[in-house]
Amino acid sequence: MSAELRPKIIGARVRRVEDPRLLTGGGAFADDLGTPGALHVAFRRSDHPHARIVGIDCAAARAMPGIRAIFTGEDLDGLVKPILATSRMRNYHPTPIPVLARGKVRYVGEPVVAILGESRYLAEDALEAMEIAYEPLGDVVDPEQAALPGAPLLHEAAGSNILVSREFSRGDVDLVMAEAFVRVGGRFRFHRKTPVAMENRTYVAEYDRGRNFLTLTSSTQVPGIVRDALVALLDMPGHSVRVVAQDVGGGFGGKTSLYPEEVLVCALARKLKTNVRWTSDRLEDLISTSQAFDEIIDAELALARDGTILALAADVTGDVGAYSIYPWTAGIEPVQVVSFLPGPYRIDTYRGRVRAVATSKPPMGPYRGVGRPVSTFVIERLIDMAARRLAIDPVALRRHNFVSGDDFPYKVVTGLVWDHSSFREGLDEACRAIGYDALRSEQRRAREAGRWFGIGIASYAELTGIGSRISAAPGMPINTGTETASIRIDSTGTVTASFGITSTGQGLETTLSQVVAQTLGVRIEDVRIIQGDSSAVAHSTGSYASRSTVLAGGAATLAARAVREKVLRAAAHILEAPLEDLDAADGAIFVVGTDRSITFRDLARAVYSEMGRLPKDTREELEATKVYDPYFGTTSSATHIVTLDIDPETYKIRLHRYLVGEDCGRVVNPLIVEGQVHGGVAQGIGAALHEEVVFDASGQILTASLADYTIPAAGDIPPIEVVHIEAEAPSTIGGYRGMGEGGTIGAPAAIANAISDALAPLGIEITELPVTPERLFQLVRQAQAKAAKEQGSS
Amino acid sequence: MKPAAFDYVQSHSLEEAMVALRKYGGDAKLLAGGQSLVPLLNFRLLRPAALIDINRIPGLDRVEMIAGDALRVGALARHHTLETSPVVARHFPVLHAAMAHVAHLAIRNRGTIGGSLSHADPAAELPMLALLLDAIITAESTGGTRHLAARDFLIGALTTALAEDEIVTAVEFPALPAGAGWDFAEFALRSGDFAIAAVAAVLTLRDGVVGEARIALMGVDETAIRASAAEGLLQGQRYRPELIRAAARSACAAINPITDLRASADYRRHLVEILAERVLAGAWNRAEGQAA
Ligand SMILES: Cc1cc2nc3c(=O)[nH]c(=O)nc-3n(C[C@H](O)[C@H](O)[C@H](O)COP(=O)(O)OP(=O)(O)OC[C@H]3O[C@@H](n4cnc5c(N)ncnc54)[C@H](O)[C@@H]3O)c2cc1C
Repeated sequence: MSAELRPKIIGARVRRVEDPRLLTGGGAFADDLGTPGALHVAFRRSDHPHARIVGIDCAAARAMPGIRAIFTGEDLDGLVKPILATSRMRNYHPTPIPVLARGKVRYVGEPVVAILGESRYLAEDALEAMEIAYEPLGDVVDPEQAALPGAPLLHEAAGSNILVSREFSRGDVDLVMAEAFVRVGGRFRFHRKTPVAMENRTYVAEYDRGRNFLTLTSSTQVPGIVRDALVALLDMPGHSVRVVAQDVGGGFGGKTSLYPEEVLVCALARKLKTNVRWTSDRLEDLISTSQAFDEIIDAELALARDGTILALAADVTGDVGAYSIYPWTAGIEPVQVVSFLPGPYRIDTYRGRVRAVATSKPPMGPYRGVGRPVSTFVIERLIDMAARRLAIDPVALRRHNFVSGDDFPYKVVTGLVWDHSSFREGLDEACRAIGYDALRSEQRRAREAGRWFGIGIASYAELTGIGSRISAAPGMPINTGTETASIRIDSTGTVTASFGITSTGQGLETTLSQVVAQTLGVRIEDVRIIQGDSSAVAHSTGSYASRSTVLAGGAATLAARAVREKVLRAAAHILEAPLEDLDAADGAIFVVGTDRSITFRDLARAVYSEMGRLPKDTREELEATKVYDPYFGTTSSATHIVTLDIDPETYKIRLHRYLVGEDCGRVVNPLIVEGQVHGGVAQGIGAALHEEVVFDASGQILTASLADYTIPAAGDIPPIEVVHIEAEAPSTIGGYRGMGEGGTIGAPAAIANAISDALAPLGIEITELPVTPERLFQLVRQAQAKAAKEQGSS
Repeated sequence: MKPAAFDYVQSHSLEEAMVALRKYGGDAKLLAGGQSLVPLLNFRLLRPAALIDINRIPGLDRVEMIAGDALRVGALARHHTLETSPVVARHFPVLHAAMAHVAHLAIRNRGTIGGSLSHADPAAELPMLALLLDAIITAESTGGTRHLAARDFLIGALTTALAEDEIVTAVEFPALPAGAGWDFAEFALRSGDFAIAAVAAVLTLRDGVVGEARIALMGVDETAIRASAAEGLLQGQRYRPELIRAAARSACAAINPITDLRASADYRRHLVEILAERVLAGAWNRAEGQAA
């Protein structure tokens, strides 16, 4: 068969190979691990937002049945060091994160005491018997107050609650603003969100005292980062620490950081020479897993009469919670907001200032989209506000200002570089596919009938699959720019491909199998993917930042190519044919144009098991390990279009159509890409309409159950149409661009624009997310009161 | 989120359950579907000495029509049974309509009618429908049997007239007046959530004049309530849009809503007025359809 006629594996809608396991209860999640005799940890957590620990009385708890040990922060001295996220960023104050609170507590939910019992039930019984005396310290709740001089300090050693400050600036923003034809702007607020992975965080530490070997089974997205950190914090040799994350039930960024509980089970397993485990319950998840967004953005956009963007200015205050999270630092979310704020537009004059302010709330961490859901919300709202003021169609205004054609590669004011990506094509395709012009006619008719019908558009660009040129978080001393693949054909002819990345349900086993199978010339079922294991490769960080297909897929391609060359060399001997005439597909190597062939199985037997079949000095192990570094990374982009109705009486919002036109380069598996887009959009809908972590004025968390923290359910998600543009990335192996996060980036902005569009006759612009019915009720009431007053005064 | 220790008592007859309840003297909880009770145990908001499981008591889950076209529902009947019962759909369409709004299917499969009434959540559909339909609740104990009207049974948020040793065994819904029109409307943030507000109404018309009007509201006070003043406004009246609006406003004046994370008291008031208008118009339409 000629190469052109052979069915391609890359690009096919291959059914997910992990699904039979995951959908029939055959998955192996951390909590599924059997550990007879293990001690179960229950944490007594702070119920104070900010207080000095005056005394801890564990005597009664110690005497409770089944309690084997109790540890406070002081008891951990010498066992484990505090976690510290360092960075080369200027104006950055790292904050040591104690594994158990020392001296003071900084948020409600911070672990203070660890009780180890024979069961979790007994350990929780003992929690109630413990007395902790606190002396409240000053409130550090409102980030703008906390940033003021003289505010009570959360971290005295930092000298300020402002943990990071930074400014990007080019051009005379004030001058351009002053002279511009039109300026739009306002104060934008994107409230705090939490990831809510289906699987709660779980850590099981097994200590083999004969070998002094520690195995942590963790629900982490980053086993490599955790292994490296544990080695440093526990002062153990790296070969004696292994971190495994077999099946992980969702992460969304919430499992990309190192957690105190994770370090604690390891330190105590080693100290007590036994197995120690902890599974978060939902209450703990909602108060202690890293949270997201929470920014206040004062932003202004200046445009010329023809709609050309002239300047953009923004001041961002990010509420980063109690600690600078490891390894990403407190800069991860808010700094990205200012870096990405210019979006896919040509903007030469820009000033973006950002402060990351510590408050007594759970630490802020990376969340699907990091920074960009917020930056996209702001810039896309500004674009729509400008379109309304200038009476230009929002689609036309975007097209007019997009980076396009010869502009690529385009260096953004903030230092990012957009390589060639389909900004325009994505918008045009999305408009065509949804029938944009017809929708506007439908809107006119709907308005005449008294309906509040809105159309919302959001376009964005994201940097994905980033290589070693830029760190995933500013100045972080960790290499996030490479991934490794190790591929081996064993003596039975099957293929094992090992990686350090970790699938949290997104289908990486399938995607990587496709890449390996096609590159090697075997069938998908011949390939087994090992991932989520720090011992699989020498170095890896894990899965985050839309990087796994670009980096691990690239490494897999390189390693598979190297193994394929070895396979072909061996086959050339056996088939007695010149190397150039050989090809491999479907599990066999054949001489092109003949019926001579050998299966991988027979070839492996010949290489490994049949003595003398190959000349001694040509026998090679059929394996290769390769590292891939995409250096700059890739630019992914998309346009989302949504239509919705708002009930003019109850303010209930109903989403009708949702369409995404996206460019993630070459698509390995459309089924998986669409699944990722659907899931991302669903989370974006949550961020736009439902989800908000709420604290009272003193810092007590009010949304500590899923009855109060409301995530969308299947019935709240409309059908989502996806159009793929597939412009192959110019500079990466395989042409893939990252795509795991995009859905979450576009949806809040698109929905905010659609709601504003629906409410345009009332003059309401959405500047705060999520838009709950209560917020709409208040907005409409204010608008009506204002209209009544204007009418009265005229 | 693990419950404190408790005794577990499996009861196989009503008698056994009643004796066990008495034995623990108020320190035991009946376990029906567990959908409300178990979360409270896990948060340790409740720590009873014992759970008395009534799920294996035979015959307690029956749903049947009895004399006078009344409907009798056993305490252990699951929400899902009522939701899908053809008898309920035919004779009590308003109850049928409301049941689909109770939680999610998985919860409706476990949650029981007796549990919902006894738990008396101010935003639960069943207590509201019991109030609307003038239901009679049967409570039994070793001391005897009582029949309580829904309006006497529901006392406050999570509070009923049930004595510590009493078990709800059944609820009876008397037949609706012939030709009654009805409607039900609920506002929840997501499908399956507890309502922020809901309104249900039953209307009968004779020659275009309102005979009987019943309006029940929930989510807006300590318990579900009847809007008696609004009901009175409608009595003996003919259809006018202003009448419906006035009745809706009157219903709204009767409530005492709270402000919480999901909605302010003002917004709840606003919603009740809108929903009441819609429900009264809907019920009127149906009543007219019946009369024609
Ligand atoms: C996520 C979620 C959403 C929900 N949403 C809704 C909703 O929208 N609308 C709604 O109405 N409900 C809702 N519920 C509650 C659900 O309907 C419960 O099933 C119901 O309130 C209680 O029924 P149960 O059989 O599960 O009672 P249980 O939880 O077993 O018991 C509840 C209480 O009633 C007592 N009890 C139970 N049976 C009897 C009896 N026969 N006699 C005396 N006392 C008894 C128990 O001792 C306990 O105190 C929701 C629940 C969940 C978890």
